[in-house]
Amino acid sequence: MVMRKVDLRSDTVTKPTETMRAAMASADVDDDVLGHDPTAARLEKEMARIMGKEASLFVPSGTMANLISVLIHCEIRGSEVILGDYSHIHIYENGGISTIGGVHPRTVKNNEDGTMDIDRIEEAIRDPSFEICYPTTRLICLENSHAHSGGRCLTVEYTDKVGELAKKHGLKLHVDGARIFNASVALGVPVSRLVQAADSVTACLSKGLGAPAGTIIAGSKSFISRAKILRKTLGGAMRQVGVICAAALVALEENVGKLESDHKKAKLLAEGINKIKGLKVDVASVETNIVYVDIVEELSITEIELFKKLEALGILVMPEGPLKIRLVVHHQISESDVLYTLSCIQVINILGFHYWLLDISKMVREKAQCFSISDSDERKIFLLVF
Amino acid sequence: MIERRVDLRSDTVTKPTEAMRAAMARAEVDDDVLGYDPTAARLEKEMAKIMGKEAALFVPSGTMANLISVLIHCEIRGSEVILGDYSHIHIYENGGISTIGGVHPRTIKNNEDGTMDIHLIEEAIRNPNFAICYPTTRLICLENSHAHSGGRCLTAEYTDKVGELAKKHGLKLHIDGARIFNASVALGVPVSRLVQAADSVTACLSKGLGAPAGTIIAGSKSFISKAKIVRKTLGGAMRQVGVICAAALVALEENVGKLESDHKKAKILAEGLNKIKGLKVDLASVETNIVYFEILEDSSITEIELFKYLEAHGILVMPEGPLKTRLVIHHQISESDVQYTLSCIQVILFFFFFFFLQAYLEIES
Repeated sequence: MVMRKVDLRSDTVTKPTETMRAAMASADVDDDVLGHDPTAARLEKEMARIMGKEASLFVPSGTMANLISVLIHCEIRGSEVILGDYSHIHIYENGGISTIGGVHPRTVKNNEDGTMDIDRIEEAIRDPSFEICYPTTRLICLENSHAHSGGRCLTVEYTDKVGELAKKHGLKLHVDGARIFNASVALGVPVSRLVQAADSVTACLSKGLGAPAGTIIAGSKSFISRAKILRKTLGGAMRQVGVICAAALVALEENVGKLESDHKKAKLLAEGINKIKGLKVDVASVETNIVYVDIVEELSITEIELFKKLEALGILVMPEGPLKIRLVVHHQISESDVLYTLSCIQVINILGFHYWLLDISKMVREKAQCFSISDSDERKIFLLVF
Repeated sequence: MIERRVDLRSDTVTKPTEAMRAAMARAEVDDDVLGYDPTAARLEKEMAKIMGKEAALFVPSGTMANLISVLIHCEIRGSEVILGDYSHIHIYENGGISTIGGVHPRTIKNNEDGTMDIHLIEEAIRNPNFAICYPTTRLICLENSHAHSGGRCLTAEYTDKVGELAKKHGLKLHIDGARIFNASVALGVPVSRLVQAADSVTACLSKGLGAPAGTIIAGSKSFISKAKIVRKTLGGAMRQVGVICAAALVALEENVGKLESDHKKAKILAEGLNKIKGLKVDLASVETNIVYFEILEDSSITEIELFKYLEAHGILVMPEGPLKTRLVIHHQISESDVQYTLSCIQVILFFFFFFFLQAYLEIES
């Protein structure tokens, strides 16, 4: 039985399109370490313009982009950075800002909408009079859209307020904008306005934009020239990197416009799943392309079991802790894929405690392959068993 | 005037070939962070086999490859690594092993042939009895071929000896094999034999092999699984990275065989330069694809002036300190490019000498 594959694990799974592949093959390249790769230069110039900053830099990953940014703002030993307790930097980047960069984190509770209370941020800023035992706060980090809260968007008003607070205390502001384009589209605010208050901002090319790899850091000219050196030090400076940047330029042209449709599909998915007995989605929280699903206790299926059942049907999702799964929509997920996913989840739900039948179907399929039984015969056997 | 362009700054300048571009365009890819990219997996398996190690890992650069390796062997705080005073790690990697990794370097004089005296290495190993004030030596690093000495090759015998020393003292051995394929071809020894004594080894895909980017680290399965995590931490884990790995697979197939020819061209260049009045090349030191030449004092041209004049002729070289210049041959430099370079240098030096003579005569009169 030919299974469809619907990969909802993340928007990082997007594969390069034909246009991207053609662009990569014909990219004008040069040694980006000894000089400047022309295609990388073009991408960096374009991204700086889009993000409203003086300059920008291509790096291999979002992790490196955040690591470089934090390390530059906090280049003096004994620095502290304020960030969300469920920010990507704090949870999913191997603690690199500390283990690699020697920077101390001070977390503030992330609200359900991805923000941190401004008064709590201010409270967390270290009093310089106690520097005999305090590290020195130098940086505040925001994340937009905020992944852990389900892709929630920070408004421009909120970002500006945090920017003012930072300025008031002589701190820098960094925005982890891995999915900033999603936030921009969802809020209807240009990226440059959204991140205006930030001293530095990152934006992933390999997520919803669909390029094979890479992230951009943007900031002032002096910030970016320091970023270039730190990128080299960490080992992220690549030679004829234009081959990847060429794909990213195509992504900018072709895929920013598709993000709105991703958000619509995510909404469709969220509303559909919420209607299924035993599953719950906070539909109001689905602002961009991420959908978190809670398994209501009486369904008596764990997130691992649901993950496995879906995998057997060709649907890949991300288990995210007790009775919780995450689905991420991207431009290579069609509306039909969304409906297929909803149907499969519905089937799993209806079968309820009969979901063991799905194991039977897998067994039947495996046996059928051994005996070279045709698809139609296989289906007959399955129905017979059912 | 249409100028030829001859880029001899480094073997990193090689541009992807048509075959590489085609391979990149049709590469089978997947998310190498969430799972694994099939083309990256193919490359890593092939490289592990070539290097005679259990496993291998693709990283964006040689700097990251060395950084990861040193950081894993020296993962306990308070570690020290022994390496050459003119090793690439020590001079050209931003001191990252210390500034990023917190590892302390202990340098040993690099001999002209790229080796370090074995007894000097042994002397530098810290005595554990003085742990109260000594860091703990955990690692020895070699570099093969050794760039700063002009691409000199470390023999299998020397490498084995250093390996035995490391084992005797419970240390690990890492080889910065950025140009290990060059060394292998020049010595006529398979890469796997050359690096047999090493616990970990790196090999650049973006230098003489000509891929657009990337380096491989190879080592034991457990070393490589740790390397994967450090790579992620440093930010070197890339998603559909197979697009670059596809080019590297082509490089392995097509360009290893061209290295010998690169070495021959380097030899022709070296011999030609050495014959030019005012220049000197230590011919015996040209073992692979790197040529250092010195400008003799009486030539009255500096390395910066020579660099600029050559640039005006479309020839790019690397000034390397007072009166010293480096040229690196790669597969996109033809024999005709070599001859053109020699002619240009000959002309520049002749005219410089000539004008100097004229100026001198004018002053004298």
